[in-house]
Amino acid sequence: MTTKILTTRMDAHPTDSHTLSRYLATGGYEALTKALTEMSRDDIIEEVKASNLRGRGGAGFPTGVKWGFLAPDEPRYLVVNCDESEPGTFNDRQLTERDPHQLLEGIIISSFALDVHHAFVYIRGEYPKAARRLQSAVDEAYEAGYLGDDVRGSGFALDVTLHLGAGAYICGEETALLNSLEGRRGEPRLKPPFPAVEGLYSKPTIVNNVESISNIPWITSNGGAAYAAIGPERSAGTKMLSMSGHINAPGNYEIVMGMTWRELIFDIGGGIPDGRALKAWIPGGASAPWFVPDEHLDTIVSIDDVAANGSMIGAGAVIVMDETTNVVAAAHRILRFFAHESCGQCTPCREGTSWLEAVLKRILDGNGRPEDIDLLLDIADNISPGLVWPPLMTTICPLGPSAVSPITSITRWFRPELEAMIARSEVRVG
Amino acid sequence: MAEHGTVSIIINGVEHDVPEGERLITAAERVGEYIPRFCHHDKLAPVGKCRMCLVEVEGPRGSALTTSCTVPVTDGMVVHTETDVVKKAQEGILEFLLLNHPLDCSVCDKGGECPLQDQALAFGAGESRFIEEKRTFTKPIPVSELVLLDRERCVVCDRCVRVADDIAGDPLLEFIDRGSYVQINTFPNEPFSSYFSGNTVQVCPVGALTSVDYRFKARPWDLESVRSVSLVDSVQSSVDVHTSRGKILRVYGAENDAVNEGWLSDKDRFIFSAFRSPDRITTPLVRDGDGFKETSWSEAVELVAMRLGGHVGTEVGAIGGANGTNEEAFALAKFMRTVVGSPHIDAQLGDGLDPHLASSITARGTISDLDAASTILVWGPDLKETLPVLYLRVRKAVRNGAALVVVSPYSTGLDSIATHSLRYRAGSGPEILRKLAHGDAGYEAVTETLANGPVVALVGRSSITENPMLAEAVAAFARSLPHAKLLPLLTRANVFGALDMGLAPTLLPGRVSTGDAAGVSLLEDSWGPLPESAGKDTMAMLEALIDRDLVAVILAGADPIRDCPDPAVAESALDAAEFVVAFDAFMTDSTRKAHVVLPAALWGEVDGTVTNLEGRVQRLRRSVQPRGMSISVSAALDDIARAMGAELGAADWQLINKEIAAVAPAYAGMTADYLTFEAGEEGAVVPIPGATQPLGHIPVEVNVPVVTGRFTLHLAPALYDAGVLVRNSHMLEGFADPGVVRMHPRDAASLAVADGDLIDAEGVGLPVKIDPEVPERSVVITRNLDTTRGIAASADIRVETVRGEP
Amino acid sequence: MTAVISNWSHDNQERAKRIIASYPEKRSALMPLLYIASLEHAYVSDDAMREVAELTGITPVQVQSVASFYTMFKRGGVGDYLVSVCTSISCYLGGADDVLAAVESSIGDVAGEAAAERPITVEHVECIGACGGAPAVQVNYELIEGVTPEKAVALIKWLTATRPEVILTDEMQQLFGGRRSFEWGSTDSEGAVRPIPAFGPYGSVGGGSVGGGSAGR
Ligand SMILES: Cc1cc2nc3c(=O)[nH]c(=O)nc-3n(C[C@H](O)[C@H](O)[C@H](O)COP(=O)(O)O)c2cc1C
Ligand code: SF4
Ligand code: FES
Repeated sequence: MTTKILTTRMDAHPTDSHTLSRYLATGGYEALTKALTEMSRDDIIEEVKASNLRGRGGAGFPTGVKWGFLAPDEPRYLVVNCDESEPGTFNDRQLTERDPHQLLEGIIISSFALDVHHAFVYIRGEYPKAARRLQSAVDEAYEAGYLGDDVRGSGFALDVTLHLGAGAYICGEETALLNSLEGRRGEPRLKPPFPAVEGLYSKPTIVNNVESISNIPWITSNGGAAYAAIGPERSAGTKMLSMSGHINAPGNYEIVMGMTWRELIFDIGGGIPDGRALKAWIPGGASAPWFVPDEHLDTIVSIDDVAANGSMIGAGAVIVMDETTNVVAAAHRILRFFAHESCGQCTPCREGTSWLEAVLKRILDGNGRPEDIDLLLDIADNISPGLVWPPLMTTICPLGPSAVSPITSITRWFRPELEAMIARSEVRVG
Repeated sequence: MAEHGTVSIIINGVEHDVPEGERLITAAERVGEYIPRFCHHDKLAPVGKCRMCLVEVEGPRGSALTTSCTVPVTDGMVVHTETDVVKKAQEGILEFLLLNHPLDCSVCDKGGECPLQDQALAFGAGESRFIEEKRTFTKPIPVSELVLLDRERCVVCDRCVRVADDIAGDPLLEFIDRGSYVQINTFPNEPFSSYFSGNTVQVCPVGALTSVDYRFKARPWDLESVRSVSLVDSVQSSVDVHTSRGKILRVYGAENDAVNEGWLSDKDRFIFSAFRSPDRITTPLVRDGDGFKETSWSEAVELVAMRLGGHVGTEVGAIGGANGTNEEAFALAKFMRTVVGSPHIDAQLGDGLDPHLASSITARGTISDLDAASTILVWGPDLKETLPVLYLRVRKAVRNGAALVVVSPYSTGLDSIATHSLRYRAGSGPEILRKLAHGDAGYEAVTETLANGPVVALVGRSSITENPMLAEAVAAFARSLPHAKLLPLLTRANVFGALDMGLAPTLLPGRVSTGDAAGVSLLEDSWGPLPESAGKDTMAMLEALIDRDLVAVILAGADPIRDCPDPAVAESALDAAEFVVAFDAFMTDSTRKAHVVLPAALWGEVDGTVTNLEGRVQRLRRSVQPRGMSISVSAALDDIARAMGAELGAADWQLINKEIAAVAPAYAGMTADYLTFEAGEEGAVVPIPGATQPLGHIPVEVNVPVVTGRFTLHLAPALYDAGVLVRNSHMLEGFADPGVVRMHPRDAASLAVADGDLIDAEGVGLPVKIDPEVPERSVVITRNLDTTRGIAASADIRVETVRGEP
Repeated sequence: MTAVISNWSHDNQERAKRIIASYPEKRSALMPLLYIASLEHAYVSDDAMREVAELTGITPVQVQSVASFYTMFKRGGVGDYLVSVCTSISCYLGGADDVLAAVESSIGDVAGEAAAERPITVEHVECIGACGGAPAVQVNYELIEGVTPEKAVALIKWLTATRPEVILTDEMQQLFGGRRSFEWGSTDSEGAVRPIPAFGPYGSVGGGSVGGGSAGR
């Protein structure tokens, strides 16, 4: 299964895949021409529905269905989410830096389909190069008439504005992103109303991930059915996976889902360095519950299979940990992240994440107590009742419950290690 | 299915009908299921931040924890508030809130009335599992001159920020930082100076925001609370006055949705500090050479009775009565008309409106009519400066979608949210009215907005320099708008009550015109013959004193030298008077001219009823004993009448209250008992069923002359001026601005003056402030400041550059 | 104490105008303007916040509330070069703590601590999206992937010795980097002149749509 959709151009033309000339030379903007001249708005939406494309930003919500929710009010907006801040993910960065016109063509087609005349791309502030590359593409597109008052003589008008974030993971959450774009604190909004009804400036807004939108030109050209035919039915198309951690060949891989984790980690990722043993991996970024070899190595890489095994594929970040890993320290590192990134508006996330971090830190510092394991689990339970997956929440948004994943993971899979660490402290303290 | 407008929900297995669309937390409370909360506040938009109010709501995929403060009730909703899951969640939240919260309840002002403390006790949080170090901040920091902030105690509920941003429109208090470092604060050197800052103290669920004054003064369990009314302006906000050991310690806004919805201005909230001012007059005083000497009540009463009795009734006038209760006003009106035998009485000081317009306008609206208005027209004084709580209500209406048209000679607090804000040169109001009424070119958009009813028009005099008849003409215009309701705007605290009690030359008690023969004879049935000649208003009385047509005058809490349009006339009049008796709590420019000064109780010290700008009557309750020998004006008049050989029947406020209900047609049935047992804490708008409104004033189109001149004057009212209570309140004095002459840059250029240069305005030297908001060829001066009070309120003003050294 | 954005350079005033015009509501320009303010004043000073408040029609404390939410708006104490060492999970697994320690000891500074007069400020940051090339470091937000402790020390020395006016990601990657998250493609000619993201509309040099901007101090 070597089908590739998103990365063919950059693979074939490493030096100039980001330029308009190369894009045009490799069939670029033909999908747009088709959309503008041969298709109606509804046709495009139908094709996207038929493609079974599920949002690549993490939640896996079918893109076509989401588009169908867009309320009729005017003006309406498309906002592309390139905040990519989940530890372990870096595929949106590659798509934006290496093939910005593919993304832009996706934006133009989507905007046309959704009757949007102003689209925004929210790019995390730590990605200046991605922003520069996309800005150049936007400049080129205006110049060449793919953007502006009259896109390629079709009468359709579209402006695209890039907006840089400034260091806040939570702005990846779509409603926090909209607040940030409006010049406010990046605090998630209460839902409902959902952005498709009341989004940017309280107007109907579609928020989609960079990878989701980058697929739109291909779907437009080849039809939704062709896309749906790739890979497992409910995980159609290709997926960019970012692999990192203790793995021989870290990097982004555009894959067709359906393989086993063993194949992914050992065949595609090249296995664990120096022949060390695999201890655990996170299948979908820092938010996701961990997988362990004994249980999960031969389960299937797909949105639904991962969910059935109590975790998520999320934005596609696979973080591999080998046998040398101190899992408590790793869990602490992740908790530190969530405590740092909590927006602070709701109580359980604000207080709970920093408390969890503090307890782990104390254990790591050799001051653990036997009751700390129950304490960790109970704090976690007060953020995410029942500690089930997908999580229940006492919070406004899923950030707090995500922070619980490392806690449930280490207490479930590595309890003896945790106990041993605490026991050592008792010896030291006592 | 429940009846119309309600839905049926099941809480803990019991079915209840509750109002459709209401938030679950409120609906549950209505039916007796209290759900704990911190961030929820009925009058603020939901934010769902504290997560304390989680309950289980059944849905298609089973029960889910849901914040009851954010979900509206829907028909058939099934709710559980007491399951183990709910309890666990709520206890968890509480534990989170207490992690970093200092355990200093014993020294916290909120100790004893703190939901965090209460819930910690109720849920028995027990021993803390949090053994790490608590987050600390440097101790309390002032966020304004009135409010202190203790960041460690803050639970990040967002109530104060919502009050500042959404309710008051003063976004000067905000969250800083993120995550567990979140705190509220102000910008460096930019304090939370808002006319509404005290509301944040009231809504803060914990002791994070405290009033500078109240801090460490009392423990909540030592407080007694009295429901009363704030007599600061004619909105008459409902308040709870909290006292301890005979002192007022704090004033909270009471939840009266018809009036103030719990909000107060800082003036309402903090003015009580004037009550305990060392400068209160506490004993009767009689003139002694250039000064005064103390005397006894009996001597003072004898003296007043003798001096007043020594004149023909019609040579005596009475000014004031708008700051006391209806009972005090009624007693004064009756005293003048029956004991003295004079028709010369006026509660206004030449700064108000035609009494018929103010007391008896047809299609008079209520404050809550604003909530339902499609369009609001404000043409009168700057609401933010004069009737701040009404300003909040207009803001709320606009937030909820009403269009707002503001017409004013100078910028007003509402301009920033107005759909249209029309500015005119002071004195040229009639011109703009004509243009609006005729839909002149350039005014189409405004006319179109105004054509969208229901319209509520708030009409008054933008400034004391404006012709009072303009309001009549504006009211006539507003009446022609679709489904129009009108609210006449006068600002003095109980001026509407005073007018309703007949404290006006052309009115008898109960909205009866002195020209209404039937009304007059009805009153004569109980009062005996009334004086025949027509009464004089305040300005006429002052002129008459100068001309010796009047020889004696009673000042009832009135300071004409400060408040009437021409201070010089007032001063000469009081100098010329043979006898002046003043009822007052403080020495003023006017009382200093009196021959006898009688110490008057202030409103927290008396009982009675009062009437606000919509005609709503509320119970005013005594919360503390009068200072020193002060008594109510009515009790004093009762003594004086007796000494004059007459029976006023005003010894006790309840007697007067009964008499009002008996003889004042619009107040028929409006007794204290009715208010207590029928109307309840909301009060009731007169006339109540069974009463009549004899006078129905229909405003007429009048031709008001346009004032021209080199410069026209707008004497702008300000909330904090040098008014008697503000200058005697240790909390609010010093808030008044220093006084400047504002003028348009081009006018400044033509006079060759720059910002700060001294200028001569009608003989008073003031610095210039260049302000493009001022229309050309007019000047704006803040009224009643120490520096500006000498300026006569003539519309046409002489402004000159000061030559040479001042 | 009123704000006077006319203190800003002509270039930056023009940028501000263009940015405000590109949004349906001017408050949306708040974050971009805070970047330009940082370009102008080296960090988000009180004056800068007043200026931005004036431009966006909100109050200074509202600006501060937003600015303080985001870690990339600095309140002062940042040198010419902001070295951000990622120590989030993937970089941590790849040995980022050693890189941070090496950097800190090489400049005798403590990460995160203010160092106003020092040309180099070090901070440790959460994930910067370079996990495939862990450990990763940014200088003025320009990325270097595959950094070792030794190379990190060399980087600090190079910054101190050469004091480059423009920080270019490809140049640094070549000198001090190693394994990348993915093939970068052709060389990028734009770079940072301040510790703010070098993005055309905010000011950067070396190419791109805007260019210009005064390099160095
Ligand atoms: C805490 C949090 C962080 C998120 N971060 C991102 C992100 O960086 N990029 C992204 O595309 N979606 C992110 N999401 C998901 C978005 O909210 C949203 O679902 C997504 O952008 C929708 O796009 P899609 O339908 O194309 O997946 C995040 C969600 C949460 C709760
Ligand atoms: S200060 Fe009080 S009202 Fe304001 S957020 Fe904190 S707890 Fe709430
Ligand atoms: S009261 Fe509902 S979340 Fe605070």
